[in-house]
Amino acid sequence: MWTRMRDFDRMFQAMDVLQSRLNGLFQYYDRPRLPGAVWGLSESGPRANMYDTGDNIEIRLEVPGVKREDLSIKLQGNYLEIKGERRADTPEGYTSHRRERGESTFTRSFTLPADVDAAKVEATLRDGILTLVLSKAEPAKPKQILIS
Amino acid sequence: MNERQDIAVRDEQLNERKVQVPVVAPLVDIAENDQEILLYADMPGVDRKDISINIDNGRLSLSGLREVKPVGAVSWEEFGDIEYRRTFSVPQTIDVGAVHAELKDGVLLLHLPKSEAAKPRQIEIKTA
Repeated sequence: MWTRMRDFDRMFQAMDVLQSRLNGLFQYYDRPRLPGAVWGLSESGPRANMYDTGDNIEIRLEVPGVKREDLSIKLQGNYLEIKGERRADTPEGYTSHRRERGESTFTRSFTLPADVDAAKVEATLRDGILTLVLSKAEPAKPKQILIS
Repeated sequence: MNERQDIAVRDEQLNERKVQVPVVAPLVDIAENDQEILLYADMPGVDRKDISINIDNGRLSLSGLREVKPVGAVSWEEFGDIEYRRTFSVPQTIDVGAVHAELKDGVLLLHLPKSEAAKPRQIEIKTA
């Protein structure tokens, strides 16, 4: 008798899982996503690009709606950490109809491919894109070798 | 099958290369009070001049084109050129002529003021 009961329980559990999956479907339904990007990537932090210009490493981060004072950038050796907080910008006294952007805090860290000069880091925030230009340390810079 | 395909192939070579930019819908917040409707749309990296906002026949369409200009060698790229596009239905009560927009920190903010007739009014009772 008890084993039968357990079978019933298991069946209902399976149904619960199915129900939660179906509920989850609609959450992602009209979310924008880049072709080829993994679903839920936006949850794990802002998207970033990294470029190598030889003398510099340039990192760009998508941080729409994040103010300058809400960003913190830490550099330790070749470990870079960017933290940020996005606050709600809807003013008081408004009723909300749609909330897709939300408030969030994020952290994204990078291990830089080369040693950088911590004193020569430029960070700019423009149109919701944070651009970091990190100057490579002298030994890591490319050198032209002349053939004698 | 092959013959048919041959007929469909154009003789001239098209030198123009059509650039296909992926289109995504920007994330939006919509809020409303008695005076206006606010619409926030995330468009990181989009320049002011690359945004177009059209209201036509009760439909509001937003479009913003972002161009990521890579420098040097690309180590990795998670975002690239993109077009943000999204269309909304605008209620009749919106005063289309008074709609204005601002762009700050990659967020587009649209103010859609309600027309005078649509604003709630307090009606006073006069003493007879």
